[in-house]
Amino acid sequence: MTNVYSFQKEHSNQAFIAGINIFGLIAYVKGYMADLIIKNVTLSFGGLNALSRVNMQIQTARITSIIGPNGAGKTSLLNCISGFYIPSSGHIYYGEHKITRSSPHTVSSLGIARSFQNLELFRGMSVQDNLLLARHKNLRYNFLQAVFYFGKASRIEAENRGYVEKIIDFMELEPYRKKIVGSLSYGIQKRVEVARALTLGPELLLLDEPMAGMNIEEKEDMVRYILDINNEWNITVVLVEHDLGVVMDISDYVYVLDFGLVIGAGVPREVSSDPRVIEAYIGED
Amino acid sequence: MSQNRWLATGNFFTSYRQEQRIFLTHLDRLIFICLLVVLFVWPLCVEVSNKQMLVIDNILIAIVAILGLNILTGFAGLISIGHAAFVGVGAYTVASFSRVLGDSHLLLTHGWPLMILAAGLIGTIMGAFVGLPAFRLKHLYLAIATLSFQMIFQWTINFMTFFNQGQTISVGRVSWFTGQIGRNDHYLFWYYVTLSIVILFSFAVRNLLRTRYGRCLVAVRDNDRAADAMGIHPGFTKVYAFALSGFFAGVAGALHAYLWRGVGYESFTLHQSISYLAMAIVGGLGTLIGSFFGPAAMIMLDLQVENLSQVIGKFLTVTMDLATAFRPLTFGLVIVLFLMFEPRGIANWWRIARSYVKLWPFRY
Repeated sequence: MTNVYSFQKEHSNQAFIAGINIFGLIAYVKGYMADLIIKNVTLSFGGLNALSRVNMQIQTARITSIIGPNGAGKTSLLNCISGFYIPSSGHIYYGEHKITRSSPHTVSSLGIARSFQNLELFRGMSVQDNLLLARHKNLRYNFLQAVFYFGKASRIEAENRGYVEKIIDFMELEPYRKKIVGSLSYGIQKRVEVARALTLGPELLLLDEPMAGMNIEEKEDMVRYILDINNEWNITVVLVEHDLGVVMDISDYVYVLDFGLVIGAGVPREVSSDPRVIEAYIGED
Repeated sequence: MSQNRWLATGNFFTSYRQEQRIFLTHLDRLIFICLLVVLFVWPLCVEVSNKQMLVIDNILIAIVAILGLNILTGFAGLISIGHAAFVGVGAYTVASFSRVLGDSHLLLTHGWPLMILAAGLIGTIMGAFVGLPAFRLKHLYLAIATLSFQMIFQWTINFMTFFNQGQTISVGRVSWFTGQIGRNDHYLFWYYVTLSIVILFSFAVRNLLRTRYGRCLVAVRDNDRAADAMGIHPGFTKVYAFALSGFFAGVAGALHAYLWRGVGYESFTLHQSISYLAMAIVGGLGTLIGSFFGPAAMIMLDLQVENLSQVIGKFLTVTMDLATAFRPLTFGLVIVLFLMFEPRGIANWWRIARSYVKLWPFRY
């Protein structure tokens, strides 16, 4: 695990140096396609800095966690990445795309999907329809074909249904396929939320507290899904989570936020022994 | 594996294409085809007066308009208090051609399908234009934007000499393969035309709802934040909903112009807009079947109230014109009662009745 850390450290230095030279930066970014790079991002609401000069590099095909006490700015950061908030200053790059000022639908079409902390599902629809909706951008047929439901439209819809079924199977949502989402239990709704993000077919998945309010069994299930998403589907996962046990077990790399500042970063073992992190979580003696 | 496609029981799917069919069993399809046949054949078997046919035609035209309003208000969740104005845009498209070319120009009498399509397209354009505030506004504010369109529309029609200042602009009789449609066949002819359009449009809406172009509407209604994160542009989707609704309204307007053989501004007032909204609510917002029940129920109710007030007027000669008092009263009462006791509209009764019949004689 230490070599992961040194790898990260080495490259974050490189990013820093490259940042001085704009051409160097482009070359750097192109060399590491689809890394998510957050540079000096500040987000302020009036006089309050929700995020101040946050620097992060989220590497492909890993699980990176962002932890921190309540109000540390974790969700604000995810909102900045996914386009719901526009940072006051600083930049966010995804691969060669600059997504600082992109709107959510642009960000999602680049392959960044997210789940929401406070369930933002289409409550009146069935689980299946929720997932079908997430495929919106991936369905290529025109309006007339849709109106008459012939040719491409019916074929693609059938394929699409198959794709959704794959996700339903993976997330073990079979019993709830046709149930109205609003009528399901909280734990299942959380799972649908993750499933819906996954249905977008993302390269990068932002999970905002997918385990909040779950019992131990549901948590174990969710951890299994996240690990499988990462290993089998090769999707980069950014996990915002309060359960430190889970975070330390499954993360490849951890960032710690407190009052909008990055106060620690490293592999889980280092972070958990970092005095500043302990201070933020437990308080001073 | 043997499949029984006649009954719901023992009817299983082996492909996703089967699951996405409109009619899941042959029985459903058979009943539907029978219904269509009945709808087309009955005017030939039963003696119907022109007056009765006019009412039925009006219901069918309202159904076309309500299909559009249901897309906008029911599926996309955008309240429109200007739907009559959109219908008016369609009607006045035909009227404009009539003003410029003369009311019996070949384009109007022989090219009427083209005119209906043109009215639909103008409706689409106006719909998209009026929908533009949807990029910024939500809920009631957007409703006010549609209301302002209604007002602007009425004002324009009333003051422009081109539109005869709201006085009737006549539209000539149309021709069919058999020659000009005469006075006696007029209402029957437009019954068939409107019925065909209703069937075509209903299937179109049904198809849209099982594709991305329909799902995005519902997504924007339920949660436009999440829709945004799913790659759906909420602003464009709302404008698209307005445009689509404008198309249906435009077509309904053109049909109205042809059926009444003239266009006058009284048919497209704010009152009519609210009636349309009432029809959509009574029928059941966000349901396809509600678009048929709503207009039928409201127009029949209106008619019955008129009859009833005439009967009562015979006994109570002292009172003034009862119909003028009764109509708004029942109209308001029906909306309030529906909102209180059956907000899901007649479509919900239909759903309950259907599931009861399907399970009969078992209770569960």
